[in-house]
Amino acid sequence: MAGHLNHVVIGASAAGLSAACAILKTTPRARVRVVSEEKDAPYFRPMIPFIISGKKGSSDVKMVGQGPYVQEGFELFTNTRVTRVDAGQKRVITDSGQIVSYDRLLIASGGKPYLPPEIEGVDVEGVYALRTLSQARAAAKRSSNVTHAVMLGGGLLNLKAAFSLLEKGLEVTLVVYSPEILSQLMEPEDAVMIRNALEQAGLKIMTGCSARKIVDGSKGVCSVVLDDNREIACEMVFIGKGVRPCVDFLGDSGIEIDSGVVVDRYTKSSMNDIFAAGDVAVTFDPITGERIVTGLWTNAAEMGTCAGKNMAGCPTAYSGTFGVMNATQVAGLPFVSMGVVHPGNNEHEIHKNISDTSYRKLVFSKDGNYLLGLVMIGDIKNAGLYRFIMREQRNIRFLKEKIIGQSLTSADVMYG
Amino acid sequence: MDQVKEIFLRKNRCMGCHSCELACAVAHSASKNMYEAMGEVPLPKNRVYVEAVSENLPIPVLCRHCEDAPCMHACIAGAIRRMEDHSLFTDADKCIGCWTCVMVCPYGVIGRHLDAQKAYRCDRCPDLEEPACVSACPTKALVYQSVTTFSKDKRRHAAEELSRGEGK
Ligand SMILES: Cc1cc2nc3c(=O)[nH]c(=O)nc-3n(C[C@H](O)[C@H](O)[C@H](O)COP(=O)(O)OP(=O)(O)OC[C@H]3O[C@@H](n4cnc5c(N)ncnc54)[C@H](O)[C@@H]3O)c2cc1C
Repeated sequence: MAGHLNHVVIGASAAGLSAACAILKTTPRARVRVVSEEKDAPYFRPMIPFIISGKKGSSDVKMVGQGPYVQEGFELFTNTRVTRVDAGQKRVITDSGQIVSYDRLLIASGGKPYLPPEIEGVDVEGVYALRTLSQARAAAKRSSNVTHAVMLGGGLLNLKAAFSLLEKGLEVTLVVYSPEILSQLMEPEDAVMIRNALEQAGLKIMTGCSARKIVDGSKGVCSVVLDDNREIACEMVFIGKGVRPCVDFLGDSGIEIDSGVVVDRYTKSSMNDIFAAGDVAVTFDPITGERIVTGLWTNAAEMGTCAGKNMAGCPTAYSGTFGVMNATQVAGLPFVSMGVVHPGNNEHEIHKNISDTSYRKLVFSKDGNYLLGLVMIGDIKNAGLYRFIMREQRNIRFLKEKIIGQSLTSADVMYG
Repeated sequence: MDQVKEIFLRKNRCMGCHSCELACAVAHSASKNMYEAMGEVPLPKNRVYVEAVSENLPIPVLCRHCEDAPCMHACIAGAIRRMEDHSLFTDADKCIGCWTCVMVCPYGVIGRHLDAQKAYRCDRCPDLEEPACVSACPTKALVYQSVTTFSKDKRRHAAEELSRGEGK
């Protein structure tokens, strides 16, 4: 009978659509309704910086029919916000008062940008906390008529946005509270090479300071005031201070929340027939076992697929993810950062390889037998191989020389 | 059902001559000719790599076109898709060179065009009768067969070895 189950999915992004595709692949005759608060049809969220730079248009980044999102047969309701989940009656209520019943529900509502309450003026025109395609379009429009943008926060999202603005010819200043950029993804000394490349590419970086106030002029933002009272004139501000799970509509649902929706190894929440995946879910790190909330497309897609299979009656354990697992290229430098990247003083064995064009930090367990994390900059060859042995928690005693000497290949891992 | 062919490895046959790598690079060059290919800019790239577990155990590795392909699901640009022949295809127009696929591929077989900032992989030479690496392999360590043919061959081979008392 599972073939005819009635599935409802809240959120039409990486997790939601991966789940919808997995449900229909497993049980083609199931009913799957996907509800999205956004007006735009589903799109690849990480691509929105290209909307700002103008390199891509909205239709270039759409999801349905692209990549793995080719399964047909789900119903999509855009511009519809779920305001309440009634787990007792197994139904959700939308902002237009519509009542939608479900046999199985997936919460894939993702994350919302965090706006630090200590910054005054976050609602001034020209201030963006970049998350949606419609915001990106608005930012693209404004960026065509201005000269200077200030980015608050030194994470990857802000760096990507910064580059899209640099490409358009704006002057861009990055204001970072931490002693160094990318502090979530690496230690200060790991970031030097990237910082140099960013500065060479024209980005102004100010570390160790934060914004206190965003000042409203006659045409929106006119400046940012720092905590030491320095004032930077600008017409756009981007706030990149992390994301928080979108759980505001779950208040009276009875679902266990610990910052995000808590799920078991089978992606099920504390309530029967309700599952969660992606940025909204609390998952775990396969190495430390710690509860984590991630902000990763890769994780959302994988976990969503897993949740979809579970909902369709095909029990599939989710193997967790590293809280840090990023790959990208900024200022011409490819880099990968994953697993334990902030090792403790005497708790880990650390190896570094540094050349003019590349930087590599490997973090092993204290006994040296397990690879726990790495940062690779410049040369990211075989990064996936390392991820594999980290995730499998392979004892690498016999491979260690090759790992440190950068000569490990998949032949060693698969056939060695 | 139409039997889809894949590239399989017969492990102990590889001598490590690297002919597959060369043939692959030529097959993915603009000129498709070895002498001209060597002068092309950018230099044509091979998508099969002969790796060595030890000096006497060379092994060619290449994209497996995995069933539940981690690269395809991880791609943040929707640039990787499954083709009708079940192979995976990286669409260079869509690829933004974020290297997420490189980060999640457990086989380390996704290459990077650094200048163009595009990822590339084995495409099983769709325009050729048989992938170039397979044709070039002098010991038939690489074969192009359907899963059923390959496993039938393998089983027959194992049975022969057993009857000769060579089985492990
Ligand atoms: C600029 C940018 C660059 C990024 N780059 C990368 C990258 O390189 N690599 C990477 O791994 N990740 C990246 N990310 C992060 C990645 O986009 C997210 O981790 C991913 O989108 C999470 O997917 P999700 O499906 O969990 O949720 P989301 O993508 O957040 O989608 C949730 C959807 O649910 C909707 N929703 C929420 N509440 C409701 C409700 N009550 N009713 C109806 N709908 C609702 C939301 O409007 C949203 O459309 C980037 C993000 C941004 C913004």
